Amino acid sequence: MSRVLLVEDNEMNRDMLSRRLRKKGFEVDMALDGAQGVEMARGGSYDIVLMDMSLPVIDGWEATRQLRAAPETQTIPIIALTAHAMSGDRDKAMDAGCSDYDTKPVEIDRLLLKMNTLLGVA
Amino acid sequence: MTEVGEQAQLRTLSADEVATLRHDMRTPVNHIVGYCELLLEDAEGPDHAARRERLEESLRAVRDALEMINASLSPGGRDVTQRDVDALYDRLREPHARIMESMAALLAPQDHATVDEEFSADVRKIRNATEQLVAAKRSASIEPAATLEREVPATETISSEGRGTILIVDDEPNNRAVLERHLERQGYTVVSAGDGAKALEIVQRASCDVVLLDVRMPGMDGREVLRRIKQDPATRDIPVVMISAADDLSTIAACIEAGADDFLPKPFDQVILRARVGASIEKKRLRNLEVDYLRQVERVAEAATAVERGVYAAGSLAQVAERGDALGRLARVFDSMAVGVKAREQRLQDHVTNLRREMDEAKRSAAATGDTQEPDDGALIPGELFANRYQITRVVGRGGMGMVYKARDRELAEDVAIKTLRSNAMSDDPTVVERFKTEIRLARRISHRNVVRTHDLGEHDGAYYVTMEYVEGITVRELIDMRGHLSVPSTLGIAQQLAASLEVAHGQGVIHRDIKPQNMLLDPDGVLKVMDFGIARLAQHTSTLTQAGMVIGTPAYMAPEQLLAEEVDARSDLYAVGVVLYECLTGTLPFEGASPIALIAKVLHTVPVSPAERDGSVPLPLSGLVMRLLDKEPDGRPGTAGELRELLAELG
Repeated sequence: MSRVLLVEDNEMNRDMLSRRLRKKGFEVDMALDGAQGVEMARGGSYDIVLMDMSLPVIDGWEATRQLRAAPETQTIPIIALTAHAMSGDRDKAMDAGCSDYDTKPVEIDRLLLKMNTLLGVA
Repeated sequence: MTEVGEQAQLRTLSADEVATLRHDMRTPVNHIVGYCELLLEDAEGPDHAARRERLEESLRAVRDALEMINASLSPGGRDVTQRDVDALYDRLREPHARIMESMAALLAPQDHATVDEEFSADVRKIRNATEQLVAAKRSASIEPAATLEREVPATETISSEGRGTILIVDDEPNNRAVLERHLERQGYTVVSAGDGAKALEIVQRASCDVVLLDVRMPGMDGREVLRRIKQDPATRDIPVVMISAADDLSTIAACIEAGADDFLPKPFDQVILRARVGASIEKKRLRNLEVDYLRQVERVAEAATAVERGVYAAGSLAQVAERGDALGRLARVFDSMAVGVKAREQRLQDHVTNLRREMDEAKRSAAATGDTQEPDDGALIPGELFANRYQITRVVGRGGMGMVYKARDRELAEDVAIKTLRSNAMSDDPTVVERFKTEIRLARRISHRNVVRTHDLGEHDGAYYVTMEYVEGITVRELIDMRGHLSVPSTLGIAQQLAASLEVAHGQGVIHRDIKPQNMLLDPDGVLKVMDFGIARLAQHTSTLTQAGMVIGTPAYMAPEQLLAEEVDARSDLYAVGVVLYECLTGTLPFEGASPIALIAKVLHTVPVSPAERDGSVPLPLSGLVMRLLDKEPDGRPGTAGELRELLAELG
């Protein structure tokens, strides 16, 4: 079973996405802000990180950079999630070290496809 | 619409504003889609056909809404004006209504179905998200996502490591969410409250730097919250920015009068928000510095009190002393001075301890020789009621001007000393008597541990009397007589206390004029108490030379200028101190004569043998100081009792 770390400050988003992912068979842990996300990612062996980009304490961009800078987390796939959906966001996410990028509202099938591709199960 | 309103409508939103708006509108869409899909996945089978139909309809509606949002706010698209935003909101009403209708149907009680709590909870979440999609139309940009208040953890204080902590108080969740998001992006720590009571609770519990406070709220409104924040000394320094509709000028004015620091008009403008919050944070920062400074000034003041009480601990101003400014310098200097004072006090204490030892020895030898007081003639009899108030206990002394008794004050039920002043010892010059009364009035004000407290001046049977604090102890006269002479530490103990008493009295404008060992009491703890301040004023000036011995005792302690009835000042008392110290150290007076006239002649014209010459054990610096005090010219003596006290302290 793949382990997912969902980093998301919005309570409804967390609730909704975690429930949907669990239904699809993922084990989901949640962090409420960027700093907590980085800490949890370093401590646990996650297969993939879903990272909201607008986060308190440290935002998703910075959290991603920190994960990429640390040897124990630099290879974990990270999917950036953002509701901004600006044209430059995808490049920005990739530059920050994200493995892929998706927008909110989340289309679950599209997201699952991206996750499974990165997890090598597709 | 007003001209101003029209201009606002045509204002083009910045790219940032459009991005924020887009983000903020897509968030509830995301929730609606997500929860609808989630519920659809669970709604399998024929029993749930109606449920599926409603959810699918809602999904269609929300996708329509998303298309509208994308069309109006596409990234890199054409300029977006406020009017476009308003039009978008209008169009969103239609999908909004469709979803709301479906959700209402899903929440309606079903006759045959059991209540599915989890399902209903999710439907309510969809309904809330749908409301948020259009609810924030009043503000220029919306963030309808967060509905929860950001609470402060009960047991923790808010971390203000960032740019500062801001409390948002608004009953409208969308407004709170907009402000939270903007302010967090700027690096602020944000907490929020949905009503006035909760806001007050947070503001008292946590350290907020700025409060953004909505005026119109149900229950306790913003003006009342403002009033309470500004009333509480613990919170009144926190800047409060009122949130109000821009056209409500009278409310804004009332709030500013009530202590609000600024106001923020609705709809929010990010630039204004940033500027006003920034200014308020800076204001709070400066106020914090000011409060901190005042607190440290208070510490220095407390340290001064501690020094006075003798409980100052060296280094207790260390924190203030670290400051690089004038206050820090003051604390450093103060600390080193206080430590010096403490060391001196310790030395004085040692001297007094020594003095007490000598007194004890003197008392023991007096008891061994059976030394008793002579009976008195013409005195008041023990048990007699004097002036209808004081019951005489016993005679405690007699002098040139009258008798001293211990008596019981029947009105106040306490022991007092009464000094009666013989009428033939007093001047009959009304001016002199008036000056005497004035001086007694001044003496009554002197409150010092080394001064016998003067209570009252009274007249009985044509003679004046003065009531004073009663001190159990012996006079320095008795001590010298019993011991022959005193040790250097004991002498210094007496000298320093005597100088302290004169410093205070002179400061109050009272010259003693009759300092002599008979007027200096030592209580059982070795504390010196000087009495008779102001009383010598009554002496008949004109007869000083001829009747000196009779009127005010021996002229041995009087300064040359006093004997010559010239101008007398504080330095005349210092001369007398010189004589007392001379006598303490050597057991003899500096001058002795067969008659008063012979004695006076020596005082006026002869330089005495120094104490060190008389007794080789007297240290030269101390001997030299005594000789300075005995200078014939007032200008040759230390200038003030305070200066004398300093000089004595230097001697140890």
